[in-house]
Amino acid sequence: MAAATLNKAKRRKKSNFGQDNLVGYLFIGPWLAAFLLFTFIPISVSLLLSFTDYNVLANSGEFIGLDNFQRMFFEDRRYWRSVNATLKYVVFSVPLRLVFALGVAMLLNSYRRGVGVYRAAFYAPSIIGGSIAVAVMWREIFGNDGLVNFALNLLGIDGPNWLGRPETAIWTLIILAAWQFGSPMLIFLAGLKNIPKHLYESAEIDGANAWQRFLRITLPMLTPIIFFNLIMQLISGFMVFTQAFIVTQGKPLDTTLFYALYVYRRAFEQNEMGYASAMAWVMLMVIALLTALVFRSSSYWVHYEAGDGS
Amino acid sequence: MLRKKAFFIILALALFVLPTLALMAQDMTEVRISWWGSQNRHDRTIAAIELYEELNHDIDIVYEFQGWGDHWTKLSTQAAGGELPDIMQHDYARIEEWVANGLLMPLDGYIESGAIDTMSIADSSLAGGMVDGQMYGINLGNNSEVFTLDTDAFAEAGIELPPLDWTWTQFEEIANQIHDSLGIHGIGVLTSDQLWKSQYMGCCDQWSYAADGMSLGYEDDQPLIDYYSMLLRLQESGGMQSYEDSVARGDQGVEAQLIVSQEAAMAYHWSNQIVAVWNASGAERNFVMYPIPRPEGGQSQNYIKPSMFFSITSQAEQPDAAAAFIDWFVNSVEANEILEAERGVPISSVVRDALLPNLGAAQAEMFNYLGVIEMDNSPIRPADPAAHADVVNNIFVPEFVEPVMYGMISPEDAASYLREEANRILAAQ
Amino acid sequence: MAQRGANPSARPPLPWHQRKPLRALVYHGFVGLFALLMLYPILWLVGSSFKPPDEIWTNQTAILPQEFYPQNYPNGWAGFGGISFTTFYRNSLFYATVGTLLSVSASAVVAYGFARLRFRGRRFWFAIMLVTLMLPTQVQIIPQYIVFKQLGWLNTFYPLLLPRIGGSAFFIFMIIQFIRSIPRDLDEAAMIDGASKIGIFRLVILPQLTPAIITAAIFSFYWTWDEFLVPLIYLNSPELYLVSLALRTFSDPSGQTDWGAIFAMSALSLLPVFVIFIAFQRYLVEGISTTGLKG
Repeated sequence: MAAATLNKAKRRKKSNFGQDNLVGYLFIGPWLAAFLLFTFIPISVSLLLSFTDYNVLANSGEFIGLDNFQRMFFEDRRYWRSVNATLKYVVFSVPLRLVFALGVAMLLNSYRRGVGVYRAAFYAPSIIGGSIAVAVMWREIFGNDGLVNFALNLLGIDGPNWLGRPETAIWTLIILAAWQFGSPMLIFLAGLKNIPKHLYESAEIDGANAWQRFLRITLPMLTPIIFFNLIMQLISGFMVFTQAFIVTQGKPLDTTLFYALYVYRRAFEQNEMGYASAMAWVMLMVIALLTALVFRSSSYWVHYEAGDGS
Repeated sequence: MLRKKAFFIILALALFVLPTLALMAQDMTEVRISWWGSQNRHDRTIAAIELYEELNHDIDIVYEFQGWGDHWTKLSTQAAGGELPDIMQHDYARIEEWVANGLLMPLDGYIESGAIDTMSIADSSLAGGMVDGQMYGINLGNNSEVFTLDTDAFAEAGIELPPLDWTWTQFEEIANQIHDSLGIHGIGVLTSDQLWKSQYMGCCDQWSYAADGMSLGYEDDQPLIDYYSMLLRLQESGGMQSYEDSVARGDQGVEAQLIVSQEAAMAYHWSNQIVAVWNASGAERNFVMYPIPRPEGGQSQNYIKPSMFFSITSQAEQPDAAAAFIDWFVNSVEANEILEAERGVPISSVVRDALLPNLGAAQAEMFNYLGVIEMDNSPIRPADPAAHADVVNNIFVPEFVEPVMYGMISPEDAASYLREEANRILAAQ
Repeated sequence: MAQRGANPSARPPLPWHQRKPLRALVYHGFVGLFALLMLYPILWLVGSSFKPPDEIWTNQTAILPQEFYPQNYPNGWAGFGGISFTTFYRNSLFYATVGTLLSVSASAVVAYGFARLRFRGRRFWFAIMLVTLMLPTQVQIIPQYIVFKQLGWLNTFYPLLLPRIGGSAFFIFMIIQFIRSIPRDLDEAAMIDGASKIGIFRLVILPQLTPAIITAAIFSFYWTWDEFLVPLIYLNSPELYLVSLALRTFSDPSGQTDWGAIFAMSALSLLPVFVIFIAFQRYLVEGISTTGLKG
């Protein structure tokens, strides 16, 4: 790796970007210190616990090899239901959130009157996060006589009992996630602001229409931010917890039993921290693998102004 | 520059000034206590603690409180860190697990010495705190399951109130009548694990778990199958709220019961919850409390359950002072005038008599109901085995109740799967 | 905005829908309706916070209460046994402000290190940093609790604040992405002028990062404000409780719950987060147009 860096440095005309070992570690020093002091031990311990039957209340556990993994893969029906629910959530909510966030960010990225109010309105749902009030409210909206069914009724459709049906319950959580697209939206907005305006001006002189400008300038210039949002939404999608924790509690029939919720239940309701840690580490592996794949792919589609892809 | 300065000042505040707030007085005996509850309970308990500190100048009670779910997350973390408080509020369904892991201290010594005075407390009120023949929790209030009837709705539907020893057959008939004449449900869902646990008391004098907690305590699946067949019939007819609807509404607490919004004429809950039900419904409504219906020719399915305990943890630093506080909390009339039976009917007869004259309508009904249950009940069974939460959360609800109520599996098949899996978990603890 | 109007050459080309008044109407109609839909649940929450106790569950779907009952606010604000929301707000404001300052400033510094400096182990540490995001907090709580207990930091803000001296992985990665879209020509020009790496960070990179840092500050404030699991574990004395904890302490599924007070305090707890957003979001619009021209 050092050789590769060196080569790259050589390729540049000026060798100013050589090895910055000392300054580099100076700059990442705060993170490294905090990591070694506060994060490294808990993470390592949780890895060790995943090979034990550690129980929180007993505060002890024995080494049991791979039993936890055998148990989750071959004996635990609920485990696979939680995998199922989580995958479904990730597959639908991540693209939905990204598309919503980017679309609305584009809509709001103009200098017209009242745009500040809209921005606040679209961000507002994202700040009500995890309070108990959200659960009550969301149940009310998707209830039998709630807002959604009222609207469907006007269209002559007899809506189902959304949160009560195993086929539809998870969709209310996916919609909840899509509704809270505020944070990727803000990041997109910040990204849009960073696109140099002269690019648009010269494109317009060349006679490019709005759609062409979007495809040729906005989209490519935004790829680093799209890349970031994709990675983060992927990670947070797999780790989704709060929505199910406060709204559905995994019901009905475990169709909304998200992975992290099941981990929490095993850890703090059954006190099986060993088993919970094993589950958490399996998920970590899966997310890490997917993230690595996205990183691999990024050299094909992410455009950096700075000109390096590493 | 200025911003930088401000930043460092705030940082300094963060690091040095704030923790000093946590410094405690030095030469007093400090007793730490932790409970779960809602605003009402926090207010009353804190007021009682302040009174106690006034009466005992050398005692400093340091308290922590949180919601129900957070209580267990926090306390089990403290247990693993050896940081448990002296006194913790405990629950009948969890106490055995904590005892099995050596986290609670037996209180028998304090009871024998009279440090915790049980003179005016009936043995049946204390029995719930016994695990393996030793006392690990002092009951903070008597509770029992109840069917609450909306008498106005009954009158409107022209249905006569049943006798107190009503049967499941009568119940089913009434629920359907209510639905037919008023268009509302007879009752909300009746799939609670509580009803499963006491199911076999009525017919067969058995309990969901065997006495040693190592297996299920009933031999015959048929009564369970019959019960769930009845629930399926009621769900179909509308006599009971559908399970689907109850899932959609979620567990939003006592106040969200259908009887409150007049979408049902009956409700099933714990007796101390009548206060919350009545408050949320409005004072002009009229309710009466009934025992659980019983099987034809069977006996009472009700038992008197401790609503919650105070336990002294094995990590306690001041167990003696803790015991003195518990004694006062349970026996003092002054304390209970502040607490107002919020945790259930007080177990001390002296306290109970002192509170009687000043009760509100809901509380009077609750006291009265507990009197009825005391006359006719089944004895309380041993506290739930340590694996109870595992059985309920991972088998009973997801593999039995839900598939049966969604019609994905027959009650017969589900009952035998429940038996098989529950026995496996229980035997393995 | 007025400024921008005065300088039409700095203005980006108008999008299609802005060229005719009719299209402006379509825009406002569509976006406005959508915004209203987004706000509906919040309006419902605020409306419900003015319903009396016997109306909350009996008149659930309505936004407007039948009987206006502002008493929920003082009832909720009273808190628990004399410890009121004044205390909880003070704690939360302190924690969210200091926590945000720490997280965001540290993240910017660390991000520059990862984005622009080549040092041995860079990719390795970056990967490790991302991995720390992938393990649920729930399985780290107990070992972490024991570490902080050994340090004697239970019942203080240390366990909540000190880990933030390293920034947050989310913001570090986000700021890295922003730095990487800043042209390197600027760095190189500054370097020719004799600026050091630290000088480049301060003079070239930092001014360009305003939108990223503002965004990070908005998020960080809200996430810190909303956090409950870690504060629950470490803060024991009610005098140290945060608003997020207090809100969860109101309700007991098996006992009596004052839902009106919960709604009132939940609605109120959105206010500081919203104010921060409103105060900062204009920098997202205004601060940048000039830097865009510089490049």
